[in-house]
Amino acid sequence: MNTVPLETRTGTRNAFFTCAPLSLTAAGFVLLLRSYSGQQIFWPDYIVMGLFPLLFGQVVIGFVLVSSGFFDWLRGGDPLHIMRRPWRDHEASAPLAATAIVIPVFNEDAHRVGQGIANMWRSLKETGQIEHFDFYLCSDSNNADCWIEEECVWLKLCQELNAFGKLFYRKRRHAINSKSGNIADFCRRWGKRYRYMIVLDADSIMSGSTMVRLVRAMEANPEVGILQTQPAMVLGQSLFRRMLQFSGSLYGKLFAEGCSMAQMSSGSYWGHNAIIRLAPFIAHCDLPILPVPHPDKRHVLSHDTVEAALMKKASYEVWVTYEETGSYEEGPPNLTDMLTRDRRWCAGNLQHFWFLFARGIQMGNRLQIWIGLMSYLCSPIWFVFLIAGSIGAYERARFTIYSAGPEDLGKVQNSDATILFIMTILLLFMPRVLGILSTLPRRREFGGGSHLLLSAFLETLLSMLVAPILMLFHSFFVVSVLLGWQIKWTSQNRADTGLSLLHCLKFYGWQTVLGACGVTLAYSSLGLNFFWLMPILIGWILAPITAWITSLRNVGQRLHSHGLFVIPEETQLPIELRDLAYAGAPDQSSDITHLWPQALLNPYVLSLHLSMVHQRLATRKEGQTAQSLINLRERLVHEGPLSLNAKEKMRLLWDADSVFWLYHELWSRSESSLHPDWLEIQVESGKKSLLN
Amino acid sequence: MASMNTVNDLRSDQERIAWNQAYARLQTFLDTFMLSDQPVTAQLALRFLDQARARHRENPSQEPTNLVMEQTQKHLIEWLAQNLDESDKSSSQIFSSGCIALFLSRMPQTAPAKFLASPLPDNLRQSMRETLLITGPDFHISSMTPRNIDYGPMLHLARQTWHRWNSREIFIALCFWIAIYFIFYWWLSSIL
Repeated sequence: MNTVPLETRTGTRNAFFTCAPLSLTAAGFVLLLRSYSGQQIFWPDYIVMGLFPLLFGQVVIGFVLVSSGFFDWLRGGDPLHIMRRPWRDHEASAPLAATAIVIPVFNEDAHRVGQGIANMWRSLKETGQIEHFDFYLCSDSNNADCWIEEECVWLKLCQELNAFGKLFYRKRRHAINSKSGNIADFCRRWGKRYRYMIVLDADSIMSGSTMVRLVRAMEANPEVGILQTQPAMVLGQSLFRRMLQFSGSLYGKLFAEGCSMAQMSSGSYWGHNAIIRLAPFIAHCDLPILPVPHPDKRHVLSHDTVEAALMKKASYEVWVTYEETGSYEEGPPNLTDMLTRDRRWCAGNLQHFWFLFARGIQMGNRLQIWIGLMSYLCSPIWFVFLIAGSIGAYERARFTIYSAGPEDLGKVQNSDATILFIMTILLLFMPRVLGILSTLPRRREFGGGSHLLLSAFLETLLSMLVAPILMLFHSFFVVSVLLGWQIKWTSQNRADTGLSLLHCLKFYGWQTVLGACGVTLAYSSLGLNFFWLMPILIGWILAPITAWITSLRNVGQRLHSHGLFVIPEETQLPIELRDLAYAGAPDQSSDITHLWPQALLNPYVLSLHLSMVHQRLATRKEGQTAQSLINLRERLVHEGPLSLNAKEKMRLLWDADSVFWLYHELWSRSESSLHPDWLEIQVESGKKSLLN
Repeated sequence: MASMNTVNDLRSDQERIAWNQAYARLQTFLDTFMLSDQPVTAQLALRFLDQARARHRENPSQEPTNLVMEQTQKHLIEWLAQNLDESDKSSSQIFSSGCIALFLSRMPQTAPAKFLASPLPDNLRQSMRETLLITGPDFHISSMTPRNIDYGPMLHLARQTWHRWNSREIFIALCFWIAIYFIFYWWLSSIL
């Protein structure tokens, strides 16, 4: 065993990861400056020169990380990585410790979450180590239907899997601090019972063997605080999701490998599909308050990166186990849903700016924060860069035509600009080439060599169409965050239900108008040079079509049937991913929602709900029901289930006395004293139940 | 006499409709317990309906649906309390633990004839009492509080600059200086 401390063996590596991006960016910057030599410089050129290092640096960082990942792949893995240490020799005999698998949910498809839990339970059972694991479904749902469905799914799972006392359900009344608050609440209540916590998202799946290995890795390496797996995106049906999961399979691993080489024990934590040592997490990782004036904006929205930094600050290592398989998640099903998610992430990542210069944060974590910041800041920078570059080109063309002598005409196109152009193209596309090269030995898993190459080509084309759309939206997100516009915490749509063409025209049509105006303006002012802007302008013009077509499930399925965008998990479906399906869009044929009223009419659903509420709350003394609740009850009886808004439904459901009173009244009152909807729901609850 | 008969006919028609509605409601109510034997459900419904009719004769002012459903729900709570030995608890608590016990013991499916029957055989009573619903284990409270962090130079910089400003002032200043810049640029361009 190598007993030399990790830090002393990483000097060369740190030097490389500091010098390589800096020197490549400097080289690009010098080429840019030289390309201006002998030319008239206009005011937009100074903007271009100022922004160039930031944009080029981001491209360079991506290239350096993927190239390092490729190098690591060539040599067969990083010898300093935690998963390559001697403990692996005795892995099978290593003991396990009490571990909680925590699944925070917020208005999710409870059936899909339940299917995932059942699959993981069975997978863990096969390992023979299930006695070390408990599952916690921690709900923050504020939708009455979702809440009641979650309770029923939980009870059915407990019954089916005989998991009573091993699978728990907890509903928070006040969803303080969103997901990080949900996890913190678990830690405060039950954190002491367990040594480790595996955090999953609602769509996350992990195989039993992977979870067991993670616990063993933590047991063998007490200096490790967080082990983050690299989840593979799976189960996509729409073209957009299939494209994301294909590119993730193709290039994601090299990027993660490169990041891991650069960051080492200051690795990333992505908030899910990771195992956490609970004692230091509880002691050191509760999120600090941000030093901003507005009290509502002091909470850290995107918690994971900060938690990783705090864990490392407390001298515990954080590693990314990029080689582990058996860890899965699902991507957004369409462009609109990705943008909704990005809006949240953008606000979260921009908040991380505070931690960039905070004392005690490790360089690896600062790199992670920087990459996260720049992933959104690059968009407005790129936008301004394009405008400034175009105005500069226009000024130069005017100058060349009206002011310059014949000797100046040839200087506009020079060799430095050509070299810079080729260098940029190489840096942009080399990661893709390296990704394909590293995948070629496993090409059968991607549907064969020709299919792999064609899919990679199509993915590149689609990425080129999507990138300009993202640039505009991300720019808007950055500006809106900086102006302090409120971010709403919304649940993520995970079903491949597709977007309507009308929605796409309404949501993306302004980009088409902008693109058309851009083409006219660029052609009239830049002449043939406007072709340089065409990749971006075409992306804007086609935005509604791109969003619509990529959201379609049948397009994705048809391409899949032709062997395109195939990922290894589809060639051989892991058992943990079997039978996972979303309920899809709710039935729009009826106006009445039939889920939450079951808690008022079905005895089993009601008794389950009452048990939950009784266990969570101290019951109020009789006769103290608030008048507002009494009014709500009466309104519900007389005006039907659609008469209450989301908050009112939740308020009633939290009150055990009201729920029981409603059960009694809704069954006892004559037809004339009830809203007609109740009669329909009564009949339905007699025919089918959420617990059937 | 004829008008008396018409009134009586109308009253009996209304009464029949009301009792039909009461029966339908009771049948639907019993259906929600998912008994695997439909005739048992029908028998139970008729039994409760007969009892309600008898009480209705004593007090004809009470509405049939209300009467039959109140009586059935009362009987259900008493039956659950008796078999779970939980008479000291509130109706809501007896109902919740009792119905969950029914569901988990699968008695309505395996022994539908014993639903609401007294006395309940010992084995069924035992299986109902054995069910226990644990939503979460006992709390082991930990203290998890935010740690102070030194935000370094950015905090000091922020406190000295924009921290004291509001967005309106920034916007006005920005517009002002952009205007100055363009006026200056236009002026320079015109004289050079």
